[in-house]
Amino acid sequence: MSWLLHRIDDRLSHGQVVVAWAQRLQPQRIDVVDDAVGSRLRPARIWVADDAAASSSWERSLLLSAAPGIEVRVVNVAAAAAAYAEEAAAPGGAFLLVRDLASARALVEAGAAVPAWNLGGLHYAPGKSKINEYIYLDDGDLGAARALLERGVTLEVQDVPASRAQSLRALIPMLSAT
Amino acid sequence: MSARVPALLVMHADLSAALLRAAEQVVGPIEGVETLSNAGLSRDDLERAITERVERWPSGGLVFTDFWGGSCHQCGASAARGRGEVVVVTGLNLPTLIDYLHNREKYGVVDLAERLQKKGQESIRVQRSAA
Repeated sequence: MSWLLHRIDDRLSHGQVVVAWAQRLQPQRIDVVDDAVGSRLRPARIWVADDAAASSSWERSLLLSAAPGIEVRVVNVAAAAAAYAEEAAAPGGAFLLVRDLASARALVEAGAAVPAWNLGGLHYAPGKSKINEYIYLDDGDLGAARALLERGVTLEVQDVPASRAQSLRALIPMLSAT
Repeated sequence: MSARVPALLVMHADLSAALLRAAEQVVGPIEGVETLSNAGLSRDDLERAITERVERWPSGGLVFTDFWGGSCHQCGASAARGRGEVVVVTGLNLPTLIDYLHNREKYGVVDLAERLQKKGQESIRVQRSAA
């Protein structure tokens, strides 16, 4: 099993990922999935995956430089879903990062057999309700979460390895209501 | 003598404010240095908060962050993009901040950033115990 971590974090690759999780789990490759960026640079090794900078080769080189010693690839959701099984069988470990629950849902619905997502950072924005200090969700997020749960995907809230993982279902009982 | 190069410290948790307070204990009250924490901010909001501050600088300045590759660095770099006189310097420590304070009116932005990189690298030293 190549996949070590599947993470939903609006910062994509950043300190918690490249320092805390990477040292804990030691991936050989970080795959950043973002439709906005992915279509442009499939074979790139590290990207800064940011909607505002999606069209910028400069941003991609920033992400490349931001995780020294780790190969980073950015692909769109469809490409990541298509490559998912192959990566799962590849030697070495990998992280899969998406920026939001909608992307996580799209990836799974496109065929990636992701067993569990780590919700690591979905920060406050207008219209979002607080779940904990680093997770804020709106109705669209909850819809995506519900769809993932209905497919049997586990959703766990945990920012860094040293903190306790909590199931999103336990934090939001209404997700279990049908 | 040049105009004073302004600075913004962008770091995790309370580090930037604490670093500035520590520097003030050494050199006295400090003007022209702003601080910002990334706590609770999405990538977009952190970049926006940095941009709001650096775009007030009439002729550039320095964005200091704690470590290379973190959100503070990446968002600082994004905010500085296209603003040639806004330069990001990562890995700021107290000796380097004090060197900035002593030299911010003597250098332009780019030359000051290069000086601080060198000074910062030199600032970590090992005190070997006496034989």
